[in-house]
Amino acid sequence: MSMIAGHLEPYLVLSGLLFSIGSFGFLARRNAISMLMSVEIMLNAVNIAVVAFGAFVPALAGQGIAFAMLIIAVAAAEATVGLAIIIAIYRNRKTPLVDEYDTMRQ
Amino acid sequence: MPLPDTLPLIGITWADALFMLLGGVAVAGALGVVLGRDIIRNGLLLILTLGAIAGIYVMLGAAILAGAQVLVYIGAISVLILFAIMLTQSKAAPAKLNFQTQAVPAALISALLALIFAVTLGGGGWNATVFDGTPPPEGTRGAADALFGPYLLAFEVASVLLLAAVIGGIYLASLPRAGQIGAEEEEERR
Amino acid sequence: MSLITALIRAASESGEPAAVLPEYAPLLLLLPLGGFLLTAAIGRRLGKLAHIVPLLAIVATWALSMSLAVPALLGDLGEAGASRELFTWIASGDLTFSMGIHVDALTGALLLVVTTVGALVHLYSVGYMSHDPGYWRFFAYLNLFMFSMLLLVLASNLLVVFAAWELVGLSSYLLIGFWYTKREPGLAAKKAFITNRVGDVGFALGLMGLVAVFGTLDIPTVLAGVAAGELTGTAATVIALLIFCGAVGKSAQFPLHVWLPDAMEGPTPVSALIHAATMVNAGVYLVARMSPLFAASPEAMLVVAAIGIFTAIFAASIAFTQTDIKRVLAFSTLSQLGYMFAALGVGAWVPAIFHLITHGFFKGLLFLGSGSVIHAVDGEQEMPKMGGLAKKIPITYATMLIGTIAIAGLPPLAGFWSKDEILGEAFKFGYTWVWLVGLVVAGATAFYMFRLMGLTFWGKSRIREDVHPHESPWTMTLPLILLAIPSIGIGVLLGFPVADGIIVHGLEPIFHTANEMLGHEHAKWQLFGIDGILMLASVTVASIGTAIGVRLFRSDNGDRIRAITARLQPLYVGSKGRWFFDDLNDLIFVRLGGRVAHAAWWFDRRIVDGAVNGVGALTSSGGRGLRQIQTGRVQNYALGIALGLAAMAIAYLVIGS
Repeated sequence: MSMIAGHLEPYLVLSGLLFSIGSFGFLARRNAISMLMSVEIMLNAVNIAVVAFGAFVPALAGQGIAFAMLIIAVAAAEATVGLAIIIAIYRNRKTPLVDEYDTMRQ
Repeated sequence: MPLPDTLPLIGITWADALFMLLGGVAVAGALGVVLGRDIIRNGLLLILTLGAIAGIYVMLGAAILAGAQVLVYIGAISVLILFAIMLTQSKAAPAKLNFQTQAVPAALISALLALIFAVTLGGGGWNATVFDGTPPPEGTRGAADALFGPYLLAFEVASVLLLAAVIGGIYLASLPRAGQIGAEEEEERR
Repeated sequence: MSLITALIRAASESGEPAAVLPEYAPLLLLLPLGGFLLTAAIGRRLGKLAHIVPLLAIVATWALSMSLAVPALLGDLGEAGASRELFTWIASGDLTFSMGIHVDALTGALLLVVTTVGALVHLYSVGYMSHDPGYWRFFAYLNLFMFSMLLLVLASNLLVVFAAWELVGLSSYLLIGFWYTKREPGLAAKKAFITNRVGDVGFALGLMGLVAVFGTLDIPTVLAGVAAGELTGTAATVIALLIFCGAVGKSAQFPLHVWLPDAMEGPTPVSALIHAATMVNAGVYLVARMSPLFAASPEAMLVVAAIGIFTAIFAASIAFTQTDIKRVLAFSTLSQLGYMFAALGVGAWVPAIFHLITHGFFKGLLFLGSGSVIHAVDGEQEMPKMGGLAKKIPITYATMLIGTIAIAGLPPLAGFWSKDEILGEAFKFGYTWVWLVGLVVAGATAFYMFRLMGLTFWGKSRIREDVHPHESPWTMTLPLILLAIPSIGIGVLLGFPVADGIIVHGLEPIFHTANEMLGHEHAKWQLFGIDGILMLASVTVASIGTAIGVRLFRSDNGDRIRAITARLQPLYVGSKGRWFFDDLNDLIFVRLGGRVAHAAWWFDRRIVDGAVNGVGALTSSGGRGLRQIQTGRVQNYALGIALGLAAMAIAYLVIGS
């Protein structure tokens, strides 16, 4: 009998860790693409939690994977539009660094 | 010769060892993505992380999701990100100074979030029966029943969303010069 | 595609054993929806052939709906009607809203009017709109409206009804403002939309109340709950009145009536279909559908009756003096809708729905006829510039005369039967005041309708020299003739013998619960008793109105009419100015609101600004400090979001556990 892999909590710990790492990256990185990568990590962290709940809670059987599928679809859409925006901004400002996008201030 | 139930010498089960390996790779990879200097290496590490997460899905009995993860995340999104990296890295962008001025508060808040997760997990009490033991490997049927049953509308809406995103991507990326970089990127998406 | 798959899937699953609608029933909704989508997509390219798809869709819908409505009215679907669950629309925890359709006698009555008038109006529009550049757009909107209206009457869940309620409002908005390049239609469309919003807020609040009480909006469940006495007293009154608010808005009852006359800016087929025969009946349908809820609250019933009968006399008094042919008909519609609400308010459910049917036919006929008149005189709508048209456009004249006699309540045409039943039941249930006012309105209706006929068709021609009136093409006259038939016969067909006709047998079970709650019992109808006397009274009053109208307007009696109006100058001015209700709204909401705003501005400038200037130094230095927070950098804001998220999570952990 496995001690770790057969329980719900370890997966949630992993999910929480990844989410926190991702959120740090999103808040701290200067490069817009790095921020986007951090968002992908956060989405994946959430996916792990969702699938783990689906696998370990009988009442949610099947729904975890279905939900994660939808999250992946939304993530794909987000990545497409996000990268397109980054490229469009890059063409205008000639830099991928977010802290130089401060036009909103003026 | 049949494999022993546990790993020799250390005495932990194979499943646990696999989980620790995959989880370790995922966390280490994520840290590399977030902390590393070289952005191309960040992108490659992201692929590693996503692959490890796909392994975790298999352990959770979600082989179909692992497949989707490899196809969509590793096959499409990561490549897309790498392309975007190459399109946007000019000489002017400094390789140094990866972090904002607000890196310290950001680290504090992330730590706070981690703490909140820890407290929540420690609290337990899911208000639901939680099953212990290795998840069954067959999760596809249940997922299909859910997706094409109660979530049918959400499923369809997701496809509409994807279509809208594709159109939006083309439009956004091709504004100044009609359909050069944006078009290329969309080719890649498909 | 997925919607269709879902529908087919749902259709193949067999529901309850008894009273399931046939599998093709969802086509009633899909045909007009498909017509709308197809026409919206490719209609522009079809040019002058754009009407083919929508017309065929509606004719097929008509045939389908007849196959359901006729058995429903004859009681072949069983007392509770038949239904079919399609799919679950929203499932959220314990709260589910399912999409299902339900056909019973009440739905059947509505289907009869909606699809028949709808199909004929489509045909009519082929001729009427033929020169319009927005031809295809018009048909697309018409099909959208038909879809929405059918959804409204078929839905078995109040949330779906509400969604359809908004959809018909949208189509109405689009069609009133169809000629959006002109100023008036645009303004009228906005007025209709905004006025309806006022009522819909009440409707939405009422629905929330029902969810709070019953936890569902499934109509049979809610009504069963009300019948079981789970909602009584003040709560019932409040919820019933809130829902009635929605009905007041949609059916243009006082004080939300102001939008309907202006809605006549839209094309005439629209006025006939939406603003006379179908959509404005939605309020009547809603109140009838929720009859047990209203029966649970005597106060709400009283309000319904009072507002209804007041609107009836109020609108009739305005119709006396209007000169625009469509406005007269619009006020007449208001008045007749008031009649229906008065009937609902006194508990005369069946006559109200009966009147809805007959009114749908003859008012649709009158509106289409007025469109034919306008077509003939080259767009002129002012009756003082018409006259003497009877010989020039004989088919229009004959059919409109039938419509007028029907609405005037002269036997044996349609209007007589339903109107007489309303008045009779009002009297017998003890609402003498409703009966008395209703009687006056009946006479007034006959008078102003014959005034309309006189000014338009009789006497000498006052038409501009350069206009040569001509009869409309067959696509326009055929619907007139086809509508004239039910205007003559539907009253006898459904309502004879009185109190024992098809309509009574069909609808009585629907209102059984409400009648039981009210304690209404139907005595046997006696020709040589109270009922005969009441009938005689209403016929007499209608005849008097007719006689006066014909006498005054048969030939050119200008001097005499001017003498009469001079004697009644204040009344004339009031009626002509629609009792200044638009001006009152203007005064209250625009002028007075402006005054208040002005005062507030003064207060703001002198007192608030003074105080602000007093601490101005503090503010500007504080502002300079706060400006540092507005860095314009995305990630600073994201940091704020993360902080807020953490704060909320902590608060939840602390408070929640």
